[in-house]
Amino acid sequence: MKLSWFSPLPPAQTAIAQYTASLLPALRRHAAVTLWTDQPQWDAHLEDYATVRRFDQACMPWGELNRADMSLYHIGNSPFHGAIWRIARETPGVVVLHDARLQDLFRAVYQEHGRRAEYLDVARRYYGASGRAAARDFWSDKLPSAYMAARYPFTPLAVAGALGVIVHTRDAHLAAQQSFDGPSALVALPYPVAASPACRRWAPPYRLVMFGYIDWNRRLNEVLNALAGFPQRDQLRLDVYGRLFNGEDARARLHALGLCPLVTLHGFVPAQQLDAALASAHLAINLRYPTMGEASFSQLQLWAQGLPSLVTPAGWYAALPHDAVAFVRPAYEQEDLHTHWQALLADPQRFARMGEAGRRHVEAHHTPAAYAHAVIDLVAQADRFRACAAAYQLADRAAVEMAAWLGPTASPHALRRAATAVAGLVNRDQAAD
Amino acid sequence: MRIVIATVQVPFVRGGAEALAEGLRDALRAAGHTADIVALPFKWYPPECILDQMLAWRLLDVTESFGTPTDLLIGLRFPAYLVPHPRKVLWLLHQHRTAYEWWDHPFADLSHYPNGLEVRDAIRRADGAFIPQAQAVFTISATVGRRLKEYCGIDSAVLHPPPAHAARFYHAAPEDYLFFPSRLSRPKRQELVLQALAQTRQPVRVRFAGSADEPAHAGALQRLASKLHVQDRVDWLGSIGDDDKIHQYAHALAVVFPPADEDFGYVALEAMLAAKPVITCTDSGGPLEVVEHGKTGLVIEPTPAAFAHAMDTLWEDRARGAAWGAAGRARIERLNITWDNVVRTLAGCS
Amino acid sequence: MRILIATTQVPFVWGGAEAHAEGLRAALCAAGHAAEIIRIPFKGYPPQRIPEQMLACRLLDVTESCGAPIDMLIGLKFPAYLIPHPNKVLWIADQYRMAYEPREHPFVGGLLEFPAGRQVRALIHAADRRLIADAKALLANSLTVAARLKRDCNIDATALYHPPPHAEQFVCAGYEDYLFFPSRLTHFKRQALALRALAHTRLPIHVRFAGCADDPAYLPELRQLANELGVAPRVEWLGYLDDEEKRRQYARALAVVFPPEAEDYGYVTLEAMLSSKAVITCADSGGPLEFVLHERTGLIADPTPAALAAALDRVWAARDEARAWGEAGRARYDDLAISWHTVVRTLLA
Repeated sequence: MKLSWFSPLPPAQTAIAQYTASLLPALRRHAAVTLWTDQPQWDAHLEDYATVRRFDQACMPWGELNRADMSLYHIGNSPFHGAIWRIARETPGVVVLHDARLQDLFRAVYQEHGRRAEYLDVARRYYGASGRAAARDFWSDKLPSAYMAARYPFTPLAVAGALGVIVHTRDAHLAAQQSFDGPSALVALPYPVAASPACRRWAPPYRLVMFGYIDWNRRLNEVLNALAGFPQRDQLRLDVYGRLFNGEDARARLHALGLCPLVTLHGFVPAQQLDAALASAHLAINLRYPTMGEASFSQLQLWAQGLPSLVTPAGWYAALPHDAVAFVRPAYEQEDLHTHWQALLADPQRFARMGEAGRRHVEAHHTPAAYAHAVIDLVAQADRFRACAAAYQLADRAAVEMAAWLGPTASPHALRRAATAVAGLVNRDQAAD
Repeated sequence: MRIVIATVQVPFVRGGAEALAEGLRDALRAAGHTADIVALPFKWYPPECILDQMLAWRLLDVTESFGTPTDLLIGLRFPAYLVPHPRKVLWLLHQHRTAYEWWDHPFADLSHYPNGLEVRDAIRRADGAFIPQAQAVFTISATVGRRLKEYCGIDSAVLHPPPAHAARFYHAAPEDYLFFPSRLSRPKRQELVLQALAQTRQPVRVRFAGSADEPAHAGALQRLASKLHVQDRVDWLGSIGDDDKIHQYAHALAVVFPPADEDFGYVALEAMLAAKPVITCTDSGGPLEVVEHGKTGLVIEPTPAAFAHAMDTLWEDRARGAAWGAAGRARIERLNITWDNVVRTLAGCS
Repeated sequence: MRILIATTQVPFVWGGAEAHAEGLRAALCAAGHAAEIIRIPFKGYPPQRIPEQMLACRLLDVTESCGAPIDMLIGLKFPAYLIPHPNKVLWIADQYRMAYEPREHPFVGGLLEFPAGRQVRALIHAADRRLIADAKALLANSLTVAARLKRDCNIDATALYHPPPHAEQFVCAGYEDYLFFPSRLTHFKRQALALRALAHTRLPIHVRFAGCADDPAYLPELRQLANELGVAPRVEWLGYLDDEEKRRQYARALAVVFPPEAEDYGYVTLEAMLSSKAVITCADSGGPLEFVLHERTGLIADPTPAALAAALDRVWAARDEARAWGEAGRARYDDLAISWHTVVRTLLA
C-alpha cells in the first residue's frame, strides 16, 4: 500500500509535526509512505522511514497522487494547514482532524486569497443567517475566536468531500459524524514512550512547567496571578517553554506581580533541551480553556516523561483517567491551582504516582502500532467509499441545479427522483435518503 | 465560428421543428461556420419526466469539443435551451405550452396530472431563471414573443424562419384541390376543415398531407370524414417527401391552414412562396403575421360555417385566388425571411 | 419494431463511431424496422463532468414516444448505454477507456491526471459493474473489447462484427509501389512507429499516410520526425481523403500497414481485406489481430521499429506473396460472414 501523507514536519513548531515523526516507524510496517510538504526544510531522519516530497500548490502532480492508494490530510486549527486543506478538496482522501474547531484556519484560508464573500457564503451554508453575520464580524476582528469556536467551528468544511475521517476525541467524532456520511474512526492519539523513565528528586523547589504554543486559551495569565497569590510561592518555580501568544504582556505581568525570580519565559528551545526540562520538572500545567476539541499530543508527551499534570476538565481532557491528572475547574481556577500546589508540597509522592500512572496509560493505550493499524483499516474503508463519495458530489451538483426551479413548496418527490437516479449508479435497488 | 444548436428530439416524430434545426445548421455551414445539432430525446409525460429532463440538460457540457471552445450556442426548444453555455442565444420555437397558454385549455395536458401544478411552477421558474441568461432572445414569431412577455416578462425580438428548400417552391396552374400539409394532430385542427367541408356548397376537395403524432389520431380523422360523408372529397397523402410536397403546393388551388394558436407555421410561408392564397383563422397565431385578409388570403372565424364559406369563395373565384397568391409571393419577398438574415442575426450575437 | 440506437456525440466530430451507428440504423430500416439514433453530447473532461453526464443519461425516458412504445434500445457507447430501458441490448464499441486503461491516451489526457480523477473512476467502475448487467444481451464490437469488459468489469460479452461503411464498394485494382496507412494521425495509431520502422528497412519502401490529425500540432511533429529519421522522401502525407479517394488508394496499394496500439476493432483491417490487400500489423494492435492471419493474410510483427521494418521489407520484396495474402484476406472476409444482416439478426434475437 502506498500512502501520501500531508502534514507539517519537524522542525515545524507544532505537535502535529512530532506526531507524524513518531508515527512513521509503525506506519512503515504497513505501507510505503510519501510525506508531502511545502516547507523548505525538514529533519533528515524522516527519510529513514519515508520519501519526502516538496509540493507547490501551483503545479501539483495529480497523476502521481492519484496513483498512490490513499492521501491523508492532517488538518488543525492553524493557517499553515490551509494548503493541505485546499489539496484535500481537489483530490479527496482521508482527513485526520487534529482539531474539531477550525475557525482560525478557515478565516486565514479565505483571507489569504481575498475571498471574503465566499467565506461568508460558506458560513451561511452551514450555519444560516446568524452564522453568516458572526463570520462577518469575526473576519473584521469584532468577534473573538473563542466565540466562533463555541458556536461556528467550521468543522463541516474540513470534512466536506473526504473519503474518510480520523479523529482523536469523542467531541470531534460527533462533530465529524454530523456532517460526514463516510467511514470515520476515533483513535487514541499515538505517542512513543521512551524505554527508560525519567528519575526525579521530589524535593523543593518544585518545578512547574508549561510548554507548547502558549495561546490565549492556555490560561498563562491566570496561572501567574494564582502563583503571585500563593503563600508558599517561594517553594515553586515556573518554566514556560515555547512561543507566547502575547510575550510583551506576559513579561510586563511578571514584573508587575514581582514573579521574576520565580518564573522564566524560555521561548522556543530545541527538542532535547525541552526533554531535559520535562525530565527534571515535577508538575506540568496543561490547561486549555476553552478547548479547540483537540487531543493533546503534549499531554501524552508529559505522561511519557512520567510528569503529573494539571488539566482543565473539558473536551478530551475531561475523559482522562483521574489517577493520572489533576483537574483545575474553570470556575475555580485560582482555588484549584492553590489546592493542588498545597498538595504537592504536602505529599509529593502522590504526584509522583500520578505521573507514573500517566506513563502506564500512554504505554497501554497510545501506542503508535495500534494507531498505524487503525489508519490502515480506515484507509481500506475509505477506498471502498470512493464511488459513494463521488455520488454524493454528484447529488450536490444536481441539487444546485434543481434549486433554480424547485420552490419552497416543492414536494420532496422531485428531489427523491434525482437522488434515486444518483444512487442507482452505485447502489442497486437502494433509494437514497 | 463553432456553433452548437440545442434542440429536442421526439423519437420517430419529424416535423417543422426538426426541419428548422437542420435548415439552420445547413445555413450556418453554407455561411462558413462549423455547426452541429445537439439533441436529447424528450418525453413530456408524466410530468415528473419533464423535471428529469430539465436536470439532464443542465448537466450537459457543450462548452468545448476536444479542447476547442464552442463559440455560440443557439437554443431552440424547451428544455434544450436550459443547457449551460456562456455565449447563448435563444431562437425560441415555443416554450413548453402546456405550462403556459395551454394550462387551462382544450389542449391542456399538464394540468390533468396531480403534480401538474408543481411541475408547471418549476418550468416557469426555470424559464425565468435561465432564459434571461442568454445574450439575446429571439422568437420565430411575434406570437411566441408575446407569450414570452406576457407569462415571463421577458423581451425578445422576432426572427422569422424561412421554410426548408425555399428556393425550390414554384407556381403552376391550379388544379381542383385545396392543400393542407401538417402533422395530423388536434392543435392543427384538421377536424375543423372536415366539418367545414360538410357545409360547402361547392364540390371542394382537400388533400391532407402529413402523418399523425399519435397513431390513433389518423384513424379517428378518417372515421370523422366518413361520419360527415365527406370521405370522397378528401385525400390522405400521409407522410410525403419534399419533392412531392413542393409539387402539391405548386398545383394547389389554395392552401388551408387553420391551426389553433400556432407558434408560426411554415405552411403559410410555403404557400406564399408557391404564390397560393391562404385560408387561416383569426385565432391561428403565427400565420396571421404574414397572411393579410383580402390581400393574400382569408382570415376567418374558426367555425365550420365561416371556413366553408371561405373555401367556397376560392373554389369559385379562381382569378381572385390567383391574384392573392401573387400578392402573397410579393409580400414574402419583401419580408426578407431568408437564411442569410437568420445567420447574420444569430451569429452576430457572439 | 421501433428501435432506438443510443450513442454519444462530440460536437463537430464525425468518425468511425458515427458511421457505426448510422450503418446500424440503415440496416435496421432495411430489415423493415423503424430505427432512429439518439446522440448524447459527451465531454469527458474535467472528470467531474463525467458523472454529471452519466446522471443525465439515467434521467432520460425512452420507453415510449407520443404514446407508442419504443420496443428496444441498442446502446453503443458510454455513457449513452446507461440510458434505462426494459429491453436494452448493449453492443459496446468501447467502455470509457480512459477509466480503465492503465496507460492513458496522451492526447485527451488520462483520468488520473486530474485531481478528482480517481474518485470519478471509482464511480464509473461502480456504475458499469451494476448497470451494464441491466441489459438483456451484451455484445461487443470485437473480441478485444469483450476481453477488456471481462477483465475490467467481469462482464461476459459476445463479439459481434460489422462491416465497415460502404463495404461493397471496395475493390482491388492492382498492386503498385506503395504501402497504405489510413488512420487519424494520433499517438496511439502509431504513425510514428511506422516512420521509425521505415528508417530500419533495407528496401526503399514508400508509405502513403492518409488522415487528419486530431491535434493540429501533431502533423508537423510527424513530419519533423520523418525528416530526422531521413525517411521523408519515402513518405507521403495525403491528409484528408474522401471515401472514394480513400478506396482508390486501398485499391492500388501493395499492402496496408496498420499497427495501432490496442485498437478496439479497426475498420482499416477490414477495408484492406475487402480490397484484397495484405495487412501488416503488430502483436499488441488488438482488433486487427482478430482478422489478420500471420503469413496467410498478412504479417504480425512485434511493436518495435526493427521487427516492423522486417515485416515491411518482406512484403515489399515478395510481391507475389503480398498478392496471395491479399487475396486470402478477401476470402477470409467472406468466410467470416461479416454483414449487417447478421448484425440485425443477432441484435434482435
